[in-house]
Amino acid sequence: MAAPLDAIEGHVPALRRYARALTHDADLADDLVQDSLERAIRKRDLWRPTGSLRAWLFRILLNVYRNDLRTRRRMHAVMSPDAPLAEPGVKAAQHGRLALAETARAMQALPAEQREALLLVAVEGLSYAEAAAALDIPAGTLMSRLARGRAALRQAIETGPPKLRTVK
Amino acid sequence: MNRATITETDLHAYVDGALDSRRRALVDRYLAEHPVEAERVAAWERQNETLGALYRHIGDEPVPTRLDVHRIADAHATTRNTRPWRSMATAAALCLAVGLAGGWIGRGYRVASDAGPAALVNEAVAAHGLYASEVAHPVEVRADQQAHLAAWLSKRLERTLVLPDLRPLGFGLVGGRLLPAQGQPAAQLMYEDATGQRVTFLIVAVSDGHETSLHYGDEDGMRSLLWTDEGIRCVLVGSLSRDRLRDIATLAYEQLG
Repeated sequence: MAAPLDAIEGHVPALRRYARALTHDADLADDLVQDSLERAIRKRDLWRPTGSLRAWLFRILLNVYRNDLRTRRRMHAVMSPDAPLAEPGVKAAQHGRLALAETARAMQALPAEQREALLLVAVEGLSYAEAAAALDIPAGTLMSRLARGRAALRQAIETGPPKLRTVK
Repeated sequence: MNRATITETDLHAYVDGALDSRRRALVDRYLAEHPVEAERVAAWERQNETLGALYRHIGDEPVPTRLDVHRIADAHATTRNTRPWRSMATAAALCLAVGLAGGWIGRGYRVASDAGPAALVNEAVAAHGLYASEVAHPVEVRADQQAHLAAWLSKRLERTLVLPDLRPLGFGLVGGRLLPAQGQPAAQLMYEDATGQRVTFLIVAVSDGHETSLHYGDEDGMRSLLWTDEGIRCVLVGSLSRDRLRDIATLAYEQLG
């Protein structure tokens, strides 16, 4: 059975958000999502829905992202900690721009595997089972990445960004 | 309440709203008695809120038309005749059926200037011949270390390699090894069925990873199938029927990237 187009469509906003959070670059993020959707649609006839469609789509996106990252190391330049982040919204006032900026910076400083896991769970709201499937890792590995990511983020935010702003 | 029953996973699940109400109440009580843990959990909750504030609004933005899945599907459908995979596989199979076996077959196939794909098939067939007959050491890393094998080969090829699960077709993973091919690291994966019939995949990373059709090769009963798919080029080798080989290739293609 093919993955239904309408069901895929329903996940596009979340895929865009995840790609943007990974890359901090709106154009690049949409490129990744476009590549992922083309891939998903091309393969949807071959796909047998044994699990969550959402997890499958995120998994495709992650594969596209990682392959792209490997071929384009220059992305590190794009992901500079000073890249523009969220548009200032209502929430920004509540949390304070400082907390947002610190968190964004700390996120970009995390090892990719921890950032990928944390965003899937904390922002995208995937269940642990879905996140583990999307990342193609066992549940225990997911939990340890979450734990390490959260610990590192907490330390970075509470102790300030001492070495995060290393000059390239 | 037995305090020992509250695990680290419970604390994360508490923050992520993944606990049922009974379990949640247990964690609440545990946190009331453990201020250090409670502070840690509160920090995680603040992180979740802040991450939400940073990124959640992106999901409310209008989706640009280039990400319209119906448009993408339509474009895919109209280019399907020129874009390969299944239609090409059928075309190639038909060509073979009328007796054109023995070479590179496939409408639309263009010989690459460096003859890379053809050379890769020769290397894949040679590697298959060398290792598929090996009894004692057919592979470098065995299937019981599957996770390690996948991670290692992915790292060396700089591609995320998923080891295909071919059990639906009766083939189990034997293992894999790293080889040189075309002057770069190549992964060889070996599978065998209950009768000991073995097939191997030789996989290399390519930078121009556009999807291509299936290309059949047949040399002295050793058949091969070559394709390129988003960053990898893959040759499947085995002395099986063409249909069987194509079924394996299709299942592998589906899972490899």
